Amino acid sequence: MIRDLVSSLDYSVCAEIALALFVGTFALVFFAAFRLSNSATDRFASIPLSDQPEDPRSE
Amino acid sequence: MAKTAGGSGALESFSYDDAIVRLFATATILWALVATLVGVIVAVLLVMPSATEGVPYLTFARLRPLHTNAAIFAFAGNAIFAAVYYSTQRLCKARMWSDVLSRLHFWGWQLIIVLAAATIPFGITQSREYAELEWPIDLLIAVVWLFIFGGNFLMTLIKRRERHMYVALWFYIATIITVAVLHVFNNLCVPAGWFKGYSVYAGVQDAFMQWWYGHNAVAFFLTTPFLGLMYYFLPKAADRPVFSYRLSIIHFWSLVFIYIWAGPHHLHYTALPEWASTLGMLFSVMLWMPSWGGMINGLLTLRGAWHKVAADPVLKFFVVGVTFYGMATFEGPLLSVKSVNALSHYTDWTIAHVHSGALGWNGFMAFGMLYWLLPRIYQTKIWSDKLVSLHFWTGTIGILLYIIPIYAAGLMQGLMWRAMDETGNLMYPDFVETVQSIVVLWWLRVLGGLLYVAGVCMLCVNTLMTWFGRPSTYEVPVYTAAPLSKSYRDSKPETKDDEYKDVPMLDLGKGMSVWAKMGWHRRWERLPVTFTILVTIAVVSATLFELIPTFLIRSNVPTIATVEPYTPLELYGRHIYVSEGCYNCHSQMIRPMVAETKRYGEYSKPGEFVYDRPFQWGSRRIGPDLAREGGRQSSFWHWRHFENPEEVSPGSVMPSYRHLLDSELKFSAIAPHVKAAWHLGAPYSDDDLHNTEEVAYKQAERIAAEIVSQGGPANTMDRQAVALIAYLQRIGVDLFKTPEPENADAEGGEEAAAEADADVAEITAGAESATR
Repeated sequence: MIRDLVSSLDYSVCAEIALALFVGTFALVFFAAFRLSNSATDRFASIPLSDQPEDPRSE
Repeated sequence: MAKTAGGSGALESFSYDDAIVRLFATATILWALVATLVGVIVAVLLVMPSATEGVPYLTFARLRPLHTNAAIFAFAGNAIFAAVYYSTQRLCKARMWSDVLSRLHFWGWQLIIVLAAATIPFGITQSREYAELEWPIDLLIAVVWLFIFGGNFLMTLIKRRERHMYVALWFYIATIITVAVLHVFNNLCVPAGWFKGYSVYAGVQDAFMQWWYGHNAVAFFLTTPFLGLMYYFLPKAADRPVFSYRLSIIHFWSLVFIYIWAGPHHLHYTALPEWASTLGMLFSVMLWMPSWGGMINGLLTLRGAWHKVAADPVLKFFVVGVTFYGMATFEGPLLSVKSVNALSHYTDWTIAHVHSGALGWNGFMAFGMLYWLLPRIYQTKIWSDKLVSLHFWTGTIGILLYIIPIYAAGLMQGLMWRAMDETGNLMYPDFVETVQSIVVLWWLRVLGGLLYVAGVCMLCVNTLMTWFGRPSTYEVPVYTAAPLSKSYRDSKPETKDDEYKDVPMLDLGKGMSVWAKMGWHRRWERLPVTFTILVTIAVVSATLFELIPTFLIRSNVPTIATVEPYTPLELYGRHIYVSEGCYNCHSQMIRPMVAETKRYGEYSKPGEFVYDRPFQWGSRRIGPDLAREGGRQSSFWHWRHFENPEEVSPGSVMPSYRHLLDSELKFSAIAPHVKAAWHLGAPYSDDDLHNTEEVAYKQAERIAAEIVSQGGPANTMDRQAVALIAYLQRIGVDLFKTPEPENADAEGGEEAAAEADADVAEITAGAESATR
């Protein structure tokens, strides 16, 4: 049964699905990155500059 | 780690483990010296092939994989670990989860490197680029990498005291996951003894898997961890945050989603299906975008601080390193374009491209990091700033002196291979002539390499002298912080959720508004296990979209009725070919281009490689392609060629393989190879399986008799060269054989035979027209 199922699948659309997946994900990531507030990005970007734990540690 | 009572929760005291960073930094420097020295040695062997004559362990083909493995896994690998152990602790505000695992990781990795150095020169190799190590060492790598290093890293993330996982950590997660997936699936094999395994993949599929691994080894071993390094150490050295954190997020996810597809661009115009090759090209070109985004992000981090670059050699290393990242990632997509690849592939152009990345990007980022780290981990001033500057300039000139001549050599040889005169014949039909024309450029490469090694020597001296100046006991700062609370909710999104509370609109719209605030993404970024799973899904799904069609669509690898398994002697001869690392100089893949079919014969078909484990298509032609070598020369010619290549091929840069003429061929050692191939589906007869020695000996006697009849020495049947000759005489001949009908007497047998004859006639006609 599995063999029948596998052989009946059409793999030729794999490349198109893959491209659509990529474009969709990329758009989502792009959107997510630009939804970040300036204060959040500034805070995240400055994490490596200090070795000291900071308190309170929000986000 | 001590706990003390504090306020609302228990405060924890902790310190960073810099001893492990010192270990990895020291190993990085030592292996940098070894890797670059071996690099110079192999460069010298190309211009002086007889320099180590008579020592089989020191041929170019055996030492070149040693150089690449040392550069990638020993030098770059230890640099990655030094960076990860230093930065992860500070980004997580936590000591590594387990000191024991950290030490096991260090010593386990060094053991792997030593085992690699102890096996590759002795011919114990899979002969698959950057995956040469045999299965017992591969198992050790999987354990050390995934369970010891990966486990320790993930637990440190889980126990961290910084809420947000900085982007460098994302790159480290992607590195650990992807390298583990690549390593495990590329190295699946059936053992034929402790020192030999046969890949479960064959021919086209093996090539596909190998370059899925090979390209992503570059991507996820030499790129993503070094980007993590860049995103941590460059802001540290410049004392300013990264230019755009948003861009770093896009950079990360784009690379993770795109890189994994790009591998097939290494196989343009080969027997790989066209769709896979085109998909590889498409995604490679798309890599331009995130790669340059990353480079720009790195360089713009120095905005307003360029005056520091002029004064600080550490920043100079980083600037040149990031610039080489930009160059290499511009050139990579360029080389993946089919028309460019048609010229560049198999030439030194690829070698120049790889070295601009390895020496410029990986080398200089590692050196910049080390010079920044040394005063901090040894808690003293660097011994000589002037020597650091001298290293920078020597290294930079060394890289340029290395890559420029090699780019020229690649372009020149590629053009010579395809050059045709007005009558339609090859202008340079003698392959050796095309090699001799670039030897002078190879000499310049040696000079460039020596300068680069000189720079590494300066690093060694500076490190040693700095280490001498260290304090008698290192100061270990102790920090105090409470652990992160397990329940955490963003305060901002909660207040903004009420934004549309009184607005008359559908609940769906309100829900969409909350979703679009991307608070869920922020949560993912704080959850290491979830984040790791997401990266794994990204990598595995992309892989499956390429793998499933390659493995399941039968038309991708049409079988050829006349292609049969290698005889036991030929199979053992192939084992010798693989052990000697012949793929380092010879390809076995004739591309469907007029210049290639004129030079080498009928182009290679996918079905010809169904018994080739591993595939041996190669990636560089220092010698000619061997895909149609069978029957091209006499057996005695091959014998003389092994003894002294110059004698039968004047101007050849191939060293003598006299040891194959002297070494005994142990017929009893052939059976495990035949059994492994049989287990993997090669249809061997009972005689081949149970009387392997006898079958092999009979064929060896026939070849020995041929050698005698052609004027060669007597009694050569028990020499290793005979097995290799048997293999070489078999390569590429099956395509032209006349198939024998299985049941000639049975009904329809004659029609089947007639059909098969017609097929062969068609193929032969095609071959003739291609070579005409």
